[in-house]
Amino acid sequence: MLGMLANLFKVLNSDASPGQVALGFAFALFIGLTPFLSLHNFIVLFLVFIIRVNLSAFFLGCALFSLVAFGIDPLSISLGQTLLNLPELQDFWVGLYQSDFWRATKFNHTLLLGSLTISSILFIPLFLILTLLINVYRDRFMKWFETLKISKLIKASKFYKLYEKLGA
Amino acid sequence: MTKWIRWSGLIGFTVLIAILAIFWMFAAAPIIKFSIEKFGSDAVGAKIDVAEVNLGFNPLVLSISGVEVADKSAPMSNLVSFENAVADLSLFPLLLGKSIIQDMSLEGVEFGSIRKISGALEGNDEDINPEVVESSAANQTSVSNNKADSVQDKSSGPSSEAIPSADEILAREPLVTITRGEKFKLSLAEHKKELNESIALVPNTSAMKEYQNNLDLVMAGKLKSVEDFKARKKALDKIKVQFKIDQKAIKRAQAAIKSAKKDLGSQWPLLKKAPGEDYKNIKGKYTLDANGTSNLTALLFGDDAGGYAKTGLKYYEKLSPLLASDEEAELVQAQQDKRLTGSFIHFPTDRPLPDFWLKNLSFSAKLPLGEVAVVVKDITHQQDVINKATTLKADGRNMHNLKALTLNGVLDHRNGQGKDTFDLNIQQWQLQGLNLGLAGLELNQSNLNVQADVIFKGSDMNAHGQGQFSKAEFSSKDRTVLAKEMVAALTHIDTFVVSGKAQGELASPNLSIQSDLDNKLSRAFNKRLKQKQSELEKQLKQKLADKLLSYSGDYEDQLRELNATEGGLGDTSKAMGKMAKAEVSSYEDQLKADAKAKADKKKAKLKDKLENKFKKLF
Repeated sequence: MLGMLANLFKVLNSDASPGQVALGFAFALFIGLTPFLSLHNFIVLFLVFIIRVNLSAFFLGCALFSLVAFGIDPLSISLGQTLLNLPELQDFWVGLYQSDFWRATKFNHTLLLGSLTISSILFIPLFLILTLLINVYRDRFMKWFETLKISKLIKASKFYKLYEKLGA
Repeated sequence: MTKWIRWSGLIGFTVLIAILAIFWMFAAAPIIKFSIEKFGSDAVGAKIDVAEVNLGFNPLVLSISGVEVADKSAPMSNLVSFENAVADLSLFPLLLGKSIIQDMSLEGVEFGSIRKISGALEGNDEDINPEVVESSAANQTSVSNNKADSVQDKSSGPSSEAIPSADEILAREPLVTITRGEKFKLSLAEHKKELNESIALVPNTSAMKEYQNNLDLVMAGKLKSVEDFKARKKALDKIKVQFKIDQKAIKRAQAAIKSAKKDLGSQWPLLKKAPGEDYKNIKGKYTLDANGTSNLTALLFGDDAGGYAKTGLKYYEKLSPLLASDEEAELVQAQQDKRLTGSFIHFPTDRPLPDFWLKNLSFSAKLPLGEVAVVVKDITHQQDVINKATTLKADGRNMHNLKALTLNGVLDHRNGQGKDTFDLNIQQWQLQGLNLGLAGLELNQSNLNVQADVIFKGSDMNAHGQGQFSKAEFSSKDRTVLAKEMVAALTHIDTFVVSGKAQGELASPNLSIQSDLDNKLSRAFNKRLKQKQSELEKQLKQKLADKLLSYSGDYEDQLRELNATEGGLGDTSKAMGKMAKAEVSSYEDQLKADAKAKADKKKAKLKDKLENKFKKLF
């Protein structure tokens, strides 16, 4: 936990652009909240690899959202079930079901559809909010925060040093 | 825009994917082999051995060779085995983790082949049926030989014992005649011994004569002196002592005879009744009437019908759980997981994709009856996904002694309970030398048409079958009465129908086999049986009477002898008493007579003296 916190501050205080960090976190939504072995995650990983998103933020986000997923899985399943059983959407689902590609996405899985929907809904707002927050943090709080005792404590911790050493 | 693209990431991702693809290409076949052996063994509960797995990529073909599925209950034999299997796989579903096999053909399929090493999984020993293990281990020959052995076993079975002859019945039954007879025999021997011992002590005729002689000697002549008297008295006393001993012996012998007569007399009526009681019991037990013959069909055909059904059920029980949907298990598993897994919702489609789907399986199996070509369609554990039931069609080809054999099956597990139906049709099955297992009966030849259907619903089964026999000829090697009579009765029957039912719980269904043969046999048999039964009854009675005689022997003669001996002893006793008394009274008489004579003499002398005196006075 301390390591994650140290990494978070490391990322926040790095030279990476707020957009890249925010995008890393936003992409992590998909990996963290949805079942890992899915086609969309393969696409997300592909995008994360080729787009200059902050990988530290991405992996940190994956870890964080995986923990969050435990709490919101019931909600995801319920949402997925509702969507898949919605009469208005039946034709749409049946249409998708006829395609091997869409079948490969496992869209008809309640948890996957629910969590993917939540991730998709949160993706852009999270990207925008995080970009804004990181900018605000860097402009107003970064210097003040570095003077705080907790910040010094984190910087002095072996995890932080290790992360610095690895250049994460 | 290009500043947003990470070229190193693109290269890294491509390299990663390439490594994964190469790894999959090389590792896929061993992984498939491992998966079949590991998960297959877990599902079947016994070892599944795979010799080799090859994966071809253009087209995508999976080839599996040397597959042996061990029998859980008989680990030294295989439930099924095949030499080679070739499966055409669909690539795209495989990438999604779905094993969709378009066609699969099996070669060298065998059922019940012998294994070189045990197929039991570790820790599964309790499921092994020791009898099956023993028989399969002992039997290293082919399936056809198994059949031959079983027929042979049956022929050496209870055929000659099914309905035995009078002698066999008497040998087999716990007869009261024997029990009481043995007791009577023992008592008789004991009494005889006691009688012999006691009678041996009783004086015989010569001893009695000697007594008389001795007495005569003692009594002969007149006492000459006091010494003579004393000597004679001493001899008389000696005889008296012997008299007392002999009288005691006579009394003992009389008591022994009395006891023997009382004891044997009380046992005798019971022994006499015993054959009657035995006969009654035996008659009740071995009733050979029409009711008895109604069980003949089950006796004749029960084993074979039961044997085929048992084999069929065994394979059904193995396969059925594999077809059942595992959605429920998935749900339970999901509830147990910390992170919920969700579930798939399936929609109508022309191209369903279950996790596993073998669309078309074809193989031919060599059975003792000939070659059977089997086609199974739509094998999957997710029938609800494909919305199709698994269908089976087996056709006999190049069958020996059989015109046609077809087996159709539909295994529908789309609903929770599941419903599986099978129907079997056999035409013109020429049966030859079929041992029927009763009274050495053999169906020399017959044409058989079979129609059977069975429905499995959940754990219940409902099976009906009918076999139409025509041109039937029977014979028997047994020389028992039953065998001869059966053959005589069956001579006039050349067509009959056997129908069977099995209903109820799959594990223990209620079985019944009926046939018009019962009625036909009843009529033919009853007539013969009435005749033969009276003969048997007569024989039984005679045999029981003989048995009684063997125990009682010439009891009545002996009883007469006992009575005679008792009478003789009485006479001897009386005679001895008389002798003793006669001797004593003679001696006293002699003394009295002597005394009287002396007194009379004295009296006469005194009288003479008085008369002389009176004469002198007058």
